[in-house]
Amino acid sequence: MFLRHYPIYFLVPAVVLYFVFFILPSLLGIGYSFTDWSTYSDQVNFVGLDNFVHIFSPGENYLAYIGNTLIFTVVTIALKTVIGLGLAVLLSEGVRRFSHLYRLAIYLPAVLPTLVVALIFRSILHPATGVLNRLLRAIGLDALALQWLTDPHIALFSVIGVDTWKGVGYITVILLAGLQTIPRDYYEAAEIDGAGFWARLRFVTIPMLMPALVVVTVLNVLYGLRVFDIVYAMTNGGPGYATEVISTEIFKAFSQGQYGLGTALSTIMFAVLLVAGYFVIRLLERTSSQE
Amino acid sequence: MSMTRRKALVSAALASVAFGALSAGAGLAEDKVTLTYLASQGWVYDAEQQLGKKFEEQTGIAIDYQIVPADQYFNLLRTKLNSGEAPDIFGGQSGVTDLKLQYNVEKNAVDLSGEPWASKLDPLVAAQSTVNGKLYGMTYWDTVGNSWVINYNKKIFADNGIAVPTDFKGLKAACETLLAKGIQPMLEPIADGWHHVLWFAELGPRYEEATPGLADQLNANKATFAGNATMLTALTELKDLYDSGCWGKTALADTFADRTKVMASGQVAMVVAASGFGAELKNDYPDINPADYGVFLMPLADNQVLNLNPAGPTMFISSASPHVAEAKKYFEFLTEPDNMKFFVDNVPNATGLPFAGVAKKLPPEIEQFMANPKRGTVYQTAVNYVNPQWMDIGKDLTAMFTGAMKPEDVLASIDKRRAELAKAAKDPAWQ
Repeated sequence: MFLRHYPIYFLVPAVVLYFVFFILPSLLGIGYSFTDWSTYSDQVNFVGLDNFVHIFSPGENYLAYIGNTLIFTVVTIALKTVIGLGLAVLLSEGVRRFSHLYRLAIYLPAVLPTLVVALIFRSILHPATGVLNRLLRAIGLDALALQWLTDPHIALFSVIGVDTWKGVGYITVILLAGLQTIPRDYYEAAEIDGAGFWARLRFVTIPMLMPALVVVTVLNVLYGLRVFDIVYAMTNGGPGYATEVISTEIFKAFSQGQYGLGTALSTIMFAVLLVAGYFVIRLLERTSSQE
Repeated sequence: MSMTRRKALVSAALASVAFGALSAGAGLAEDKVTLTYLASQGWVYDAEQQLGKKFEEQTGIAIDYQIVPADQYFNLLRTKLNSGEAPDIFGGQSGVTDLKLQYNVEKNAVDLSGEPWASKLDPLVAAQSTVNGKLYGMTYWDTVGNSWVINYNKKIFADNGIAVPTDFKGLKAACETLLAKGIQPMLEPIADGWHHVLWFAELGPRYEEATPGLADQLNANKATFAGNATMLTALTELKDLYDSGCWGKTALADTFADRTKVMASGQVAMVVAASGFGAELKNDYPDINPADYGVFLMPLADNQVLNLNPAGPTMFISSASPHVAEAKKYFEFLTEPDNMKFFVDNVPNATGLPFAGVAKKLPPEIEQFMANPKRGTVYQTAVNYVNPQWMDIGKDLTAMFTGAMKPEDVLASIDKRRAELAKAAKDPAWQ
């Protein structure tokens, strides 16, 4: 109905801008992933799937880096959503005094620059001089004073922990906004029917909050798969290669002037994002149709 | 408001805007030049920054030193160079393959062959910054006079009856003795990503001694790192040092910036540092007597050959810089005799600078040590495509320490990256 009032060419400026600045670079990027484009030569030759074969060859570690990216994404989604939901419920129902102060405190890490957060936590998590291990030792928990960023089995999870601390406030705010749209009548009706806290959470809060949860999940999936700054600043992919993710490898490939390889990695990430995006949108549609 | 008055107001406003624009233009024209200088942590000493201030006082040209953590520096620099966002001056390690592959100096840097200081630069050092007969970098660094060696606390050694190690067995025994006494034998700052690579690459003269002509064979692609028994021994012993706790429990988190603090504490007995480290300690902790610290060679694979390196941190002027003349003026200023003397006098661990006419300052004990007739060039300089992958070797070694790689995997990995770099550089030996 609305479209009929405007001629179709009104779309042209937006479509041209979108095509030039978004679609075209993406297509060019995909195109370059089939070439040997590098800083070492002025010639760009078509090499077919060579870059992809290189990435997936057994002698390379890229599959491990893709694995790290997926672990990071899945674990941060779970942690941020569960903790964010818990905090949102607490702020909405449990806390009566100073709730605005708590909201501010929870949201504050989200506004801090990642580099600052990473530097602070590198210091906090230092195995010998860090505040965390000193505290643990002071209260007799020496066994828990671990090599947080230097043990290859723990480092990725330490980064995940810090990223969750930084990002959970943002998720909490979105979920809190969602919670406040749920009419109180549902809770009152559920209470009259004898529903306890967990039953209200399961049968009222979560179903009514589903649109917000889907938005949060979409944001977390996109963020998690593209994660770069927190990993780069905290461990630079180390110790060894234990915390390398796709984006740190893309950065490395570009910084070494291996543009063809870098774009091939970007193309793989694009494909993963596309598939993940498709499923999340399907989920969103299903949720909408259920309402 | 009458029409005339309104017109007058509009005219006044326009005039003030126009005047403002003119005065702003004049202001811009008078703006002083600020040169951006990107360097890795540890490459720009306080003495150089003081010289920078003096340069600013004399010429009005300011230097903005942008210091980047060592483990991120090369990626950042190459990204800036590749994306055309290079600073006016950038630091890099000299070495012909680095100049070509890491910095592509023929495209990214300015030819400095005709500069007044160029003829005074030590020819060995200048050769490391020269590509196709053109000099691109100025090595303002104590290269040939200083070597990476193990500096040790003589008092701790004497108190525990430890003799200066001359082979790996001796070093291992020293570590075990100290560990048994509750003293951390050595500081090895792995967190920086570059320092622990010294143990491998600086041993080049030992590899050469075991297999004469090896560097030439490696450069001609007629030999590989993988399968070299001496290198394998060195790496296996290196892992042994890590596993046995010789470097303490927090080596993976330790940083080189803490070297003087840690060594001055008297709680750690050894550190791999420049042979002028004693003077550096004295500078940071005036109560310390440099004579209480001695030096010995890194004895992996029983090495007893002195490691020399004519390459080192070097300054380049970006060809994209709008201030090439000013940057050249800064280089000229740094190499004035008085300023070089100031630098050597005020950089604690410097023993000289690689320019003709600069006096050396070396304690007699170190001078005697450096006179070792058995000497050779380190492999990051003698062998192509080693230095450009320095940080990658660092990652491999860290993976070896943590059990993710084996010593033979590290050597194979170095060969693989060399082949990739050589092919990218269209090296005839790899075609």
